[in-house]
Amino acid sequence: MNPLTRLRAPLRLLTLFSLLLGAAPAPADDGAQVPSLAGKRIAVSMTGTSHYFDIKAFQAQVDEIKRLGGTPITLDAGRNDRNLVTQLQTVVTQKPDAVIQTLGTLSVIDPWLRRISAAGIPLFTIDVPSQYSLNNTTSDNHAAGRALAERLAQDTGGQGNILVFNGFYGVPVCAIRYDELQKVLAARPGLKVLQPELRDVIPNTVQDARAQIAALLNKYPKGEIAAIWAAWDIPQLGASQALIDAGRSEIRTYGVDGTPEVLELLKRADSPVGAVVAQQPELIGRTAVRNVARYLAGQRDLPKETHVATLLTTRDNLDQVNRLRGDQ
Amino acid sequence: MNPSPVEAARPRLGTLLLRRGALLAFAAILLVFALGAPNFLAPGNLANVLAQSAILGILAFGLTTVIVGGGSNVLSGGLDLSVAANLGLSAAVYATLDNAGYGAFAGIGLTLATGLAVGLLNGLVVVGFRLPPLLATLASMNLVAGLELVLTENTVLPSASPLLEWLAFGVWLGVPALAWVLLGVAALLILLIDCTPFGLRLYAVGEYPEAAHAAGIAVRRHVFASYLISGLCGSLAAFCSAAWFSGSTTGSGEMLLSVVAIAFLGTIFSRRLRPSIGGTLLATLLVGFMINGFQLLNISSFWVNGLQGVLILLVVALSGLSRKEP
Repeated sequence: MNPLTRLRAPLRLLTLFSLLLGAAPAPADDGAQVPSLAGKRIAVSMTGTSHYFDIKAFQAQVDEIKRLGGTPITLDAGRNDRNLVTQLQTVVTQKPDAVIQTLGTLSVIDPWLRRISAAGIPLFTIDVPSQYSLNNTTSDNHAAGRALAERLAQDTGGQGNILVFNGFYGVPVCAIRYDELQKVLAARPGLKVLQPELRDVIPNTVQDARAQIAALLNKYPKGEIAAIWAAWDIPQLGASQALIDAGRSEIRTYGVDGTPEVLELLKRADSPVGAVVAQQPELIGRTAVRNVARYLAGQRDLPKETHVATLLTTRDNLDQVNRLRGDQ
Repeated sequence: MNPSPVEAARPRLGTLLLRRGALLAFAAILLVFALGAPNFLAPGNLANVLAQSAILGILAFGLTTVIVGGGSNVLSGGLDLSVAANLGLSAAVYATLDNAGYGAFAGIGLTLATGLAVGLLNGLVVVGFRLPPLLATLASMNLVAGLELVLTENTVLPSASPLLEWLAFGVWLGVPALAWVLLGVAALLILLIDCTPFGLRLYAVGEYPEAAHAAGIAVRRHVFASYLISGLCGSLAAFCSAAWFSGSTTGSGEMLLSVVAIAFLGTIFSRRLRPSIGGTLLATLLVGFMINGFQLLNISSFWVNGLQGVLILLVVALSGLSRKEP
C-alpha cells in the first residue's frame, strides 16, 4: 500500500485541526457589521503586485475599500526598495486617513513607517510586524512554518539532505517560517541543510530557482537530496519544474502561499510538490481594510495582530483549498 | 539646389524649441502639478523631492562627468555603466565595516576608497588599454556586482550609524540632509567643471580630442580623471543609499537605466545640447517631481517610465535634427 494512502486519514484530521487552529484568532466575519469608510481616503501601499499573493491581497483591499464607500489611493513599488521608500515618504504629504503597507524588508521600511506614524496617520500592515503598526493582518506564520517543516520531516522519514532557499530573511514572514524550519530540524539530527543555502531572487524567481536546482541536481546524484524548502512557493515552483525536467521524482518540494500553478502541480501523478501552505490573501486584504474601518469608527481595541487561517495542502486535501478560499 | 528659407528654418526652429522649450516644459509640468496635485507646493514636499533625488542625481553627476570628458556619442563616447553597481558595492562595504565595528573614519574612508578603486579600474581599462567605454564599463559593472554578491550573499545588510541617521533624518533650515548633499555635490561639480581650467579642458577633450591634443592638453589624463570622479560619485551616492535603506540592499543595478536616462535627458537643459552638471541636476529633479506629482495625483508611477522614454526619444530626435544644421 502506498504510504501516502495509509497516512491519508490521519493527515485529513491534522489539516482540519490546523485549519481550526489557524482560524481561531481571526473570527470569520461576513463584513456586514463593518463601519462605513465613506469620505475616507485609504492608501494601499504595495511592495509589489507581481505574485499571486500580492495581486490577490491588493485587489481585495481596493475592492473592500470601495465596497465600504472609501477611496483607495493605490501605490505599487514594483518590488523596488527605492520606489517603496519614496512612496512611503510621499504618502505623508498625501495625508490619507490611513495607510496599509503590504510586505517589505522590515529594516528598510521601518524608519519610514515610523515617520507615517509620527505624522499622525493611522498605520496598518499586512505581513509586516512593525512596532509602528496599529494592527498587522497576517497568517500565523509560526504555526504554518512549523506544520510545513514537520510535514517535510515526516515525508523524508527524518533522514537526508535538504536544499533551502533563504534569500529573503529580511522579510519578517519569511524569517519566521525559516526559524520554524530550523527548530524542527534541530530535533531531527538526521536531516541536514546543504551549505551554502540558496538565494531566491526577485524578479525572475521561477527561472532562477529552476536553473539553480537544475545545476545542483547534476552535482548531487539520486539519493543525496531528500527535499527542497523555500519560504514561499514561487522558488518552489521553479525547483519543482527542475525536478520534473530531470525526472528526479524522489525529491519533494515545500513552500508557502498556495499559488495556483503550484496547486496545479500537486494534481500530477508524480508531483514533486510535497506540501504547500495555502494562505488566503484575499481574506487577509479584506480583513486589514475592515480593521481600518473599525479603527476609524472609534474602535480602539484592535489586537496587535489578526491571524487569518492557512491550510497545509498536500495532494490528499487539495479540494479543501477551494473551500477555504471560497474564491476559485 | 539651395534649400528654401522655410526648409532651412525648420531644424533651427526645432533646436530653438529644444533649447528654450526644455525649461518651459519643466515649468509647465510643475504648473500642472501645482494646480492639480494637492500639497505639491508644500515646502516639505518640495524638500522631500530634493532628498529623494539625491541617489540618482549623484550617480548621474558621475556619469555626466564621464560623458563630458569622453564625448556624448553613446556608442563611442564617454560612458560609465558601472556607476550603479559601484553604489551597490560601496554601500555593502560601508554596511559590512559598520557592522563589524570599524570606526566612522575607517568606514567612510574605505567606502570612498572602494568607489575610487572602481573609477581607477575603469580609467585604466579605458585609457590604458583603449577599450571602448561601453564594453569596458560593462565588464567592470559585472565584476563589481559580483564582488557585491560575494560580500552580501545577495541579502540585505541592515546597518545603523550616526552618519546614516543624520543623512536620513537630519534637517537643516527645514531642508533634509540628503537634499543638502545633492545640492552640495552639484555645486562642487559645477564649480569644478564649469568654472575651472580643468573643466574647460575636459569639455575640449570630450568634444574635439584631436584639437585638444594639438593644443597640448593631456587628453588621456583628463579622461582618466573623469572616471575617478565618477567612481567617487558612486561611493558618495552609496552613503545616501545606505541612509535611505538603513543599510545595504540588493538590486542597485536596477538604477542604471534611470541614471543613463537622466544624464542624457540633462542635455536638453543646456543651450548647446551638451552634457552639464546643471542640466543633469534639472533632469534629476524633473524625474523626481514627475514621480512625486503622479503619486499625489493618484496616477501609477509606471507612467513616469513611459514619459521618461518619450522625453528621451525627443532628445535623441531633436539632437539628431540639430546635428544636420548647416
